[in-house]
Amino acid sequence: MNKNEAISRRTFFKRTTAAGLLGALAATGLDKPVQASELSNGKLGTLIDLTKCDGCKNYQTPYCVEGCRMHNQERFPEPKKPLKKYWPQDKVEDWSDKRDLKSRLTPYNWTFVDHVRVEHNGEEQEVYVPRRCMHCDNPTCSKLCPFSAITKDSSGAVSIDDELCFGGAKCRDVCPWGIPQRQAGVGLYLDIAPDLAGGGVMYKCDMCVDLLASGKKPACVSACPKGALSIGPREDVRALAYQRAEEIRGYVYGDEENGGTSTLYISTVPFEIIDAAIKADKMSKKDAAPGRPGMPVNVENYLSTGKGMLMSAVIAPFAGAAVAGITAYRTMKGNRAKQTRNKLQEQGGENNHEE
Amino acid sequence: MKNSQKQDKLLRQNFVNRFVHWTTALSVMLLIVTGLGQLPLYTRYNVTKLPGAQWLGDYFITINLHYYAAFLLLFAVSFHIVYALARREFDIFPRKGDMKESYQIIKAMLTKGKEPASDKYLAEQRVAYLFIGLSILLLIITGLIKTLKNVPGVDLPNSFLYWSTALHNLGTGLIIFGVIGHLAAFLLKENRPLLPGMFSGSINRDYVKHRHSLWYAKLLRNGEITENSAGCDTIPSISDNLNL
Repeated sequence: MNKNEAISRRTFFKRTTAAGLLGALAATGLDKPVQASELSNGKLGTLIDLTKCDGCKNYQTPYCVEGCRMHNQERFPEPKKPLKKYWPQDKVEDWSDKRDLKSRLTPYNWTFVDHVRVEHNGEEQEVYVPRRCMHCDNPTCSKLCPFSAITKDSSGAVSIDDELCFGGAKCRDVCPWGIPQRQAGVGLYLDIAPDLAGGGVMYKCDMCVDLLASGKKPACVSACPKGALSIGPREDVRALAYQRAEEIRGYVYGDEENGGTSTLYISTVPFEIIDAAIKADKMSKKDAAPGRPGMPVNVENYLSTGKGMLMSAVIAPFAGAAVAGITAYRTMKGNRAKQTRNKLQEQGGENNHEE
Repeated sequence: MKNSQKQDKLLRQNFVNRFVHWTTALSVMLLIVTGLGQLPLYTRYNVTKLPGAQWLGDYFITINLHYYAAFLLLFAVSFHIVYALARREFDIFPRKGDMKESYQIIKAMLTKGKEPASDKYLAEQRVAYLFIGLSILLLIITGLIKTLKNVPGVDLPNSFLYWSTALHNLGTGLIIFGVIGHLAAFLLKENRPLLPGMFSGSINRDYVKHRHSLWYAKLLRNGEITENSAGCDTIPSISDNLNL
């Protein structure tokens, strides 16, 4: 049995009550699990139902992609040219001449719909997968950014501060999906040492935090004509995801990955198969560039050992203090013994002299 | 013959001091190397292409090593503070007027003039200790905040994290400057006789008499040495060395 399936069932039984309520909600046609007023506070989750997404195949651009671009276009980078290469490397990351590219993540395209053909249960199927930042619970990008330029707010949305980002692309390297994308020729590094250090600014989905702040849904969710994308209070979304997965005898992705994320996918096709199909397709196209993430199942969060590290860091000074105390005591005791011995020797010498 | 050679030396750094110094030095060096690895430097500047240096480009290897080195440093620092307080050994702690005296010593070294009489440590050494010590404390405090931040489920306020990160980065710059300054002191010939003190523990007796005359006088006054070099108390015995 697949782990996703096991988790799905276990969690389903634990959440019978919540699922029951949500089932009633769904029966009334409100399977978009939220009302707008609930978006302005608390932890949120998004649900991406792959059984509903058809990639807007009858349209030139998927609606979610178009909605995202429309909403964020004023924030897209306008690099100063000519661009300087990342000395001593003979390269520079520039997407400014490919602004219309919609088939992968770029600094100008913060969401895209991947498309793969898979074989499952003996039949070939087409799978469309909207991709963007997963907004992790313990985002390695945010925690390991050397300048704390990536923040997570109370809704769970993870955002990059484009005025603070130096463009080193560490966030992309430590993200299991390599989500943030870099554009050279913009940002703080231009004011410091553009010939020697820095690389631009990293860009990615921020869950439309500006819209969330006013109680509105993210642009992609609002734009989806199929209801494949939805947003709501995190736990409600989670419960609904497992309920739906149970109903379709499907799988959930994003709840366990990287220690948990606020983006949950549900699919009738196991995510291992989708991941393998993405990898195979990339390989056939010799596509090794970032921006087309896979779907590695149960990918580990590399900071999961953080608690043990903190405990060790707390214990270390106590250990040092204890050893110092014992050593100091022994040395002082030794000194006193030496003084007594010297005194006795002196007295002994005097006695001998008298004799 | 062997004895007379030993009698020319005085124990300046006992085993405990050398342990604290070298544990701190090792951990700080490892922390600098792995800490710089948290910036995307080594891959960018092709350091990872050097033989055996590929691991420097792996953020998760370097961060774990950074943690281990930090445990070592925390151990050494707390050991040093508690030990110094318990034994009331404050020779290296800064005193009033150290800045002025440091200036006079450096001026004397450069102009071949007469420098003020020194205790066990030169005033500039006490100032350097304060500088490096404060940098390390800044790094430890901000480093612990950053460690807490990396614990799964812990979400600290963004502005608090921003300032912790900025101060940790500032501390990194300060400690690198401090280490370079510390090592650069040995470019001056006058300071070099102090070097053996951190390896064998002992330095030349005549050098002490000449440059650390206040300390020399104190050792005489306390009866720890005698003016006559034939006295056995000038020889650092094993028990002295361990301070036992």
